[in-house]
Amino acid sequence: MMHPILSGDVYDAIIVGSGAGGGMAAYSLTRAGAKCLMLEAGEWYDTAKDSKWLQWGYDASHRGASKTPFGPGGFEAVAGGYDVAGEPYTCATGTDWKWFRSRMLGGRTNAWGRISLRNGPYDFKPYSRDGKGFDWPITYEELAPYYDKTEELIGVFGSAERLENLPDGKFQPPPTPRCYELLIQKACKDLKIPCIPSRLAVLTRPLNNRPACHYVSQCNRGCRMGSNFSSPDVLLYPALLTGNFEIRCGAMAREVLTGPDGRATGVSYIDKQSGEEVEVRGKVVVLAASACETARLLLNSRSPRFPNGVANSSGLVGRYLMDTVMSDVTGWIPSMMNLPAHDEDGVGGMHLFMPWWNYQEQLQGKLPFSRGYHVEISGGRRGMPVPGLMTGSEVLLGGGYGRDLKQRSRGLYGSLVGFHGRGEMIPNAQSYCEIDKSTVDKWGIPVLKFHFQWSDQEIQMARHMQETFQQIVATMGGKVIESYGADQQWGISPGGTGFHEVGGARMGNDPKTSVLNSYCQAWDCKNLFVTDGAPFVSLSDKNPTLTILALAWRTSDYIAAQVRTHRV
Amino acid sequence: MQGMEEPEIAQSRTLRFQRRAMLKMMAALPIAGLVPLSTLAEAVARNSPDASVLPDGTAWKLRVLTPHEWATVGVLTDWILPADEVSGSATDAGVPEFIDDWLDFQRGDLLVAIREGLVWLDVECQGNFGDSFVDCSSTQQQQMLDRIAWPKKAAPQDAKAVAFFNQFRDLTLSGFYTSEMGIRDLPYVGNEPQAEWRGCPPDVLAKLEI
Repeated sequence: MMHPILSGDVYDAIIVGSGAGGGMAAYSLTRAGAKCLMLEAGEWYDTAKDSKWLQWGYDASHRGASKTPFGPGGFEAVAGGYDVAGEPYTCATGTDWKWFRSRMLGGRTNAWGRISLRNGPYDFKPYSRDGKGFDWPITYEELAPYYDKTEELIGVFGSAERLENLPDGKFQPPPTPRCYELLIQKACKDLKIPCIPSRLAVLTRPLNNRPACHYVSQCNRGCRMGSNFSSPDVLLYPALLTGNFEIRCGAMAREVLTGPDGRATGVSYIDKQSGEEVEVRGKVVVLAASACETARLLLNSRSPRFPNGVANSSGLVGRYLMDTVMSDVTGWIPSMMNLPAHDEDGVGGMHLFMPWWNYQEQLQGKLPFSRGYHVEISGGRRGMPVPGLMTGSEVLLGGGYGRDLKQRSRGLYGSLVGFHGRGEMIPNAQSYCEIDKSTVDKWGIPVLKFHFQWSDQEIQMARHMQETFQQIVATMGGKVIESYGADQQWGISPGGTGFHEVGGARMGNDPKTSVLNSYCQAWDCKNLFVTDGAPFVSLSDKNPTLTILALAWRTSDYIAAQVRTHRV
Repeated sequence: MQGMEEPEIAQSRTLRFQRRAMLKMMAALPIAGLVPLSTLAEAVARNSPDASVLPDGTAWKLRVLTPHEWATVGVLTDWILPADEVSGSATDAGVPEFIDDWLDFQRGDLLVAIREGLVWLDVECQGNFGDSFVDCSSTQQQQMLDRIAWPKKAAPQDAKAVAFFNQFRDLTLSGFYTSEMGIRDLPYVGNEPQAEWRGCPPDVLAKLEI
């Protein structure tokens, strides 16, 4: 075997991954004066240059669609997907896990939905509340200042609502609701379901030289103007401007290197272009490769001192993997037919949403599941038509062809609404990833094998989503055209398809039952930190990205303080 | 290496300046009517009566459909979406091109299902009328379609053909309503950058009684 290339100086910090968590670590540490090297497995991506902003589908190959959902090659700012050439993963029998890998600068933050919800006080102490799952080692109050700073840095719109377990943030003004959203809000009011302005990392006012949104609902294409949050626009470029930062793309991290004293000494990676193995040295190593890739790195970093992988004396690396519970319903609303044509694009996401409203009922034991979900909405005339816009038309129109079909399709346009539940999964011991010793990727790095299952808690939650959404459609005077019953497990999503996989290196107060301490510092390796979703102890119904950013900032402040006082 | 800029950083900084210039340009324009970045020439070409001629003047080069399948697809799509007072036909909008391209892109089960359906059509027409679908008379073609275009009325033995036609109809609708002609037909109004979000217009609010 060829000797790896030892490259360059000893950096103050090596950061693996350029997404939300890696980007925030870079932003914070470079401002603190640390010389940082970032390793990104994908290629350089620049929304200013590469975004397919304002392109019409008919001017693009395949109308701008990608071959697989959320795959590369289309308008969406995605490089990677569930299937990445040369990078397989395996699943245990009975496990249906779809593992999304992002392979681009900025990771998923280029195409994500920008939904930015703070975890509430209940979400940090779920076990204390209902005896299920596990508590975080920190409270909401400890993270609140970092939520404040994060929102002020990235720009999030929303409204102060003072709702239970839904902390209000530092908000820019929200955009007013779309027409169909007002109809949904009206029905929700009748059903006593709160329907309030959403909270998205999209600017409605200029911020830090980034202009406000221009309302073409193409956030998922990457914003050429930088009006929404992406790691490159908001974190990486400012970090580069400090002069303390270097990014290497096409760098597939293989393992964390440790010395005889058990401290991390750096990272070894494969230079994808040359195929050579390179070792880079750092005084601190920060992993933010996305939860499962981080777990994989830890597990593959084996040495005599760490036979089960670095930071894994608890045996918990890869364990308690979670993803968001999802289920959808589509409805047709007759009163939305033949409306005057108007621009309904708005921002690249819903302007209203429904936060969880049944905390008290659950406390009283009235529901067969213990945690909550929020509801995202879609429909109307928002966004340019894409292939599949009238799939299943025979369900509504009965079939047909000719002038009549054309007329009725035209009338139908804009009259559909979608409801999308996004709920909390309680961590279970059957959901985890481990190294598949019989399979390696194209660079010889052992791959992950996934075990995953929903429990009855999540199935019952999906049922509640289905029943609630169908009720809303009925209240709107509409007809449900897509829904799921018991035989389809109430339409519960396959694990991984929420793109919110977290866990695998959880935080805690006890090194026997956690991988990291309350500052996301590895118990077994004090100069090794994790700033992506792997440290999560629970996955609430609040999308993880804002918490990843806030936690990463807090961890980075801790790293800087520890280094300054020579404790790391 | 402090003080030295990597090429990508310098380039992205230039693009950021270009971005600011673009913003100034946008600010100067009226809110409606901003020309999208795709070229106007291509848009005009798409609307031309002979949409099988590409903007550069060349004819469509078949990707996966055979010439006979291409001809059948053309006839079928125009049955599904003919010209009316609002917009042209499916072939006017380039739907057969979309279908040929889409089937080539997706391949797999979809391509197999569509191919099998087209064969079924020809076999049935040959059996009933002595000609392939495209060579049958208008009345004969319509007879075939009436057998499979209405799922609730179709004979059980035609179930597979009904499923094929549902899929083919979906493809036709997809191709048409994502074409420029189809987008104007609906009409979809959007993809226009604006400085302010205008919300739900008063005339729509009134119609919805909100």
